[in-house]
Amino acid sequence: MNQEISEIYTEEFFVNMGPQHPSTHGVLRLLLKMDGEVVLDMVPHVGYLHRSMEKIAENRTYYQYIPYTDRIDYVSAMFCNQAFCMAMEKLANVPVPERAEYIRIIMVELNRIASHLIWLGTFSLDLGAITPFLYCFREREKILDLFEMVCGQRMTFNYMRVGGVSRDITPEFVPMTKEFVNYFLPRVDEYEDILTQNPIFLSRTKGVGLLDQKTAIENGVTGPSLRGTGLKWDLRKDEPYSVYDKFNFDIPTGENSDVWDRYMVRIQEMRESAKIVQQALEKIPEGPIKTKTAAVFKPPAGEVYVRIEAPRGEMGFYIVSDGSPKPYRVKIRTGSFSNLTVLPIISRGWKIADLVAIFGSLDVVLPEVDR
Amino acid sequence: MTSEEIKKIVTEKFPDKLKEAKILGFEPSFIVEKGTLLEVCRFVKESKELSFDLLSCMSGADYPDRFEMVYLLFSFSRKHKMSLKVQLPKDNPEVESATAVWKGADWYEREIAELLGIKFKNHPDLRPLLLPEDWNEGYPLRKDWTGKDFIKMPDVK
Repeated sequence: MNQEISEIYTEEFFVNMGPQHPSTHGVLRLLLKMDGEVVLDMVPHVGYLHRSMEKIAENRTYYQYIPYTDRIDYVSAMFCNQAFCMAMEKLANVPVPERAEYIRIIMVELNRIASHLIWLGTFSLDLGAITPFLYCFREREKILDLFEMVCGQRMTFNYMRVGGVSRDITPEFVPMTKEFVNYFLPRVDEYEDILTQNPIFLSRTKGVGLLDQKTAIENGVTGPSLRGTGLKWDLRKDEPYSVYDKFNFDIPTGENSDVWDRYMVRIQEMRESAKIVQQALEKIPEGPIKTKTAAVFKPPAGEVYVRIEAPRGEMGFYIVSDGSPKPYRVKIRTGSFSNLTVLPIISRGWKIADLVAIFGSLDVVLPEVDR
Repeated sequence: MTSEEIKKIVTEKFPDKLKEAKILGFEPSFIVEKGTLLEVCRFVKESKELSFDLLSCMSGADYPDRFEMVYLLFSFSRKHKMSLKVQLPKDNPEVESATAVWKGADWYEREIAELLGIKFKNHPDLRPLLLPEDWNEGYPLRKDWTGKDFIKMPDVK
C-alpha cells in the first residue's frame, strides 16, 4: 500500500448522460468524455422529440397549422403563435388592429414571465435549491389562470389568428392582470433574496461556463444568453415589431458572460416584461380585435422570413408560398437550436456538476430543438 | 446601411455572378452561382462595410426543377440584413459547406442533409441529427417522399 498516488493508473472514460435525465429538461443525450470528474469533450445527441413539424406544415392549410405551432415550444407557445401569424400577415399584407397588437403584447410578455419562471425554477432545482422552484410555480400558476380566462387553455393556446387574436380579453382580465403585476414584482425580489447573493449559488455560477461574445455570434446564439455576454441586442428594441416602440423598457445585459450573468439577465427581463404589461394595460385602446380574412387563406406566391424575440432567442419562420392554401415550405428557426450548439464549447474543462449549471443557464427547451 | 447600398456593394464586387431574388423581410436577396457561393459568403462576412457576422437562419427547399438553399444573414455591428440563395440541380445536389465561414451553419447543414438529401462538401461532421439512427425511408422533406405512415391530407380549394 505504499504506492504513490501519482502512480495509480488512470484513464479517460465515456459517460452517457440522458436521454432520460432530470437535468436535461426534456430528452437530450450527452455523450461525455470524462477525466475523473472533468468533462473533456462532449457530443450532444438530439432528435428524440422530432415530430416532423416542417413536413406536417406542408400537408396542412395555414390556419390548420396554427395549433401545431403551439407545440414547437410549449413553454412559450404564444411566441410561436405570434411569429407564425406575423409571417403570414407579412406575406399577405394583412393589417392588424391596434387593440389586437396590444392584446398580443400583453399575452406574449406574460408568457415570457411564465417561461422565465419555469427556467428559474428548474435551474435552481438543478443547483440544489428547491424553494425557488415552488415559488416560481406558484406565480406561474396565476399567469396560466389569466391565460385560461382569455383563451381557455393553459399551455397550448392556439390564441392568435391572421390579422388579430381569436377572442377579446374579458372585462375581469384587466384588473386581475394589474393585480398580478403588482403582486409579482415584489416576488422577483424574493427570488433574488434567496439566490442572487447566496454564497453557494455564487460559487456555483460566478465565473462558470464563460461564453465569449465572438463564439456566441459565430454559433448563432441569440436571446438572453447573448445579452449575458454584454451585447445589447433585442429585436423588440432594435427592430421594433408589433407596437413595442410605444413602450418604455430596458434591455438588461451582463458583463462577464458567465452563468450568473445569464441568470441575472433573465431575472431583470421578468421585471421589464412586467413593466411592459403594466404600460400596455394602461394604454390599451378600444376597437376591433381582428381583421376579417378569407375562410381559406391564400397568400400570394412569395417568400418571407419573420423573426421575433422569444424567451430563448430569435424565433423565426421562413415560409415559401406558392399561392395555394397550404404552405409550400415552412422552416422554423428557434433560439434553443443554435444555443445548444455552443454547449460543448463552453463546458469543456468544467466538472460534471458545473455542466448541469451551464446547460441550465442556456435555457434550452428540447422540443424546440427537435421540432 | 440601406438595402440599396448593400445591393450596390455586392453587385459591384460580383458582377454577372448574381441574380436578384425576393425574400420579404430580409432584403436585398440574391441568387448566387453555385461555384462562387463560398467566395460571396466570405466577402459579405469579412468586408468592413457589410460584416454579416450572424447566420440568422439557413434552410433548403425542394422545387419541381431544382433544390434551393437559403442563407439569411444579419450584421450585429451594422444592423442590416440580406439573404443569399443558391440553386442546385435535382440529380446529385451538392454545395460547399458554409461552416468555413459561419460555424453556426453546422447543425443547420446536418439537418438539411438528412431531411432534404443535399450534400455539403467539406462539412466537418455530417452525421444525421434528428431522425432515428435506423432511418432508411429516404429524405422526408422532399416533395415526392412517401413514408409508410404518411397520409396526404385532402386538397382545399
